[in-house]
Amino acid sequence: MKSPVFAQLRGAVTIVVRGKSIELLVNELTQQGMQVWDVKPLPNGTVEMNIQLADFFKLRPLLKRTGCRLSVKRRSGLPFMLARLWKRKWFALGFALFFAAVIALSSLVWDIEVEGNVKIPKEDVLIAARSEGLFPFQWIHRLPKQDELSKDLARKLPGISWVGVSRTGTKITIQIVEATKPKEQELMNPRHFISTSDAVVTRIYAERGQPQVKKNDRVRRGQILISGEQGGQRIVAKGEVRGIVWHEYNIEAPLLRKQKVYTGDKKERGYLYFGKTAIQITGYGKVPFEKSHTMTTLDPLTWRSFKLPIGWMSEKILETTYIEMTISEEKAKNEGIEAAKRDIMNKYGTNSTILSQKILHEKSENGKVYMKVHFEVDQDIVKELPIVQ
Amino acid sequence: MSRFVRKFRKWTVDALDLPGDLVFNLPRLTLIGGKQLYIENHRGVVFFSPEQLQLELSQGSLEVEGSGLVIKEILPQEIVIEGKIEGIKYRGTEE
Repeated sequence: MKSPVFAQLRGAVTIVVRGKSIELLVNELTQQGMQVWDVKPLPNGTVEMNIQLADFFKLRPLLKRTGCRLSVKRRSGLPFMLARLWKRKWFALGFALFFAAVIALSSLVWDIEVEGNVKIPKEDVLIAARSEGLFPFQWIHRLPKQDELSKDLARKLPGISWVGVSRTGTKITIQIVEATKPKEQELMNPRHFISTSDAVVTRIYAERGQPQVKKNDRVRRGQILISGEQGGQRIVAKGEVRGIVWHEYNIEAPLLRKQKVYTGDKKERGYLYFGKTAIQITGYGKVPFEKSHTMTTLDPLTWRSFKLPIGWMSEKILETTYIEMTISEEKAKNEGIEAAKRDIMNKYGTNSTILSQKILHEKSENGKVYMKVHFEVDQDIVKELPIVQ
Repeated sequence: MSRFVRKFRKWTVDALDLPGDLVFNLPRLTLIGGKQLYIENHRGVVFFSPEQLQLELSQGSLEVEGSGLVIKEILPQEIVIEGKIEGIKYRGTEE
């Protein structure tokens, strides 16, 4: 009958009884059906015993009858533990709250990661996930089942062949395999290829369409090079035609050149800035320079990789002046021609090659070199012309 | 208990070969090594000290001697004694 588990649950008291007829007390206790265990006589004539908490309160009349007195030595069991806990209820409450918070916070979705998307933006996936009930700070237990979730997501997102949703702790990873789509073909009207300018054909390659000219043919501007009419049908001409085109440039190159230079004099100003407001700290006074260039550098306070909106702004005011340089005629000419070549590349495509250049006429006047240069350029001469029915 | 009933019981015990502790409420002692003594059908504790324990029985008394005796458990009919048990004296009052 002595069961330590139940005794601990219901509470037990270890008492020390002193008096003459302790044996009588023990007998009485057992007669009344109270549980007594570990009755241990102590050398000084007292007896230590354990009784149940419920029986402890019925002990008083028995003690009176047998003339014994008792003192409580130890209290053990759940009721006493609860009583002790009640004394520290706020501590216990904090303890419970802490665990509740840990459990609550760990049952939220904190982070959603999207992997494997190349063309589909992450935001689109997240929006689709949100409409399926998957978003940050959602309860994990409220989430739909993972297989259903991935199925629904795959249905919602176009251009996706597979979606996998997996959860590790509070992080959800959405893995995406994008469907590879065939390239969309451009819709084009039937067209001819015509020449952009008068040229001599150097290369013709017709992928589709009927070539109308041969290599070394002279073509006029607007002449059909590759025809889009083939066998009575209208088709989209495709291919490449290159030819030699003559370009004439009137070049003007100045011999005198102005250049901005720093004199080396500078003035510094320091500001403390908060957001968009800056307060000047150092470098008061007028700027003594006639012409100047201001360089501003911001040095924000940083914490890890975050830039705070507070920091130091320094301004360097550098005095500038213009100096005039005279360059040689030869150099001015070269620079003029180079500029013209760049212009050709820019206008007719970088795959153009300049076959030859010839200065037809040049004169030096008013501090400038005037010249007329003739370029022979091998370039793309194709222009499309839609076939109108 | 009347004389007749007692005699009848004794006869049944002998005739049917029944254990005496069940019918006559005779004490039954179980001693495990010298450490634990298990007594059924006792009538209460008479004296109790670490060296000696006297129990009342339905007929007579029982004296347990030893050192460091502890009543591990006590119930109206049963008692479990633990400690170093050195001697058991049974003082019965037979008819």
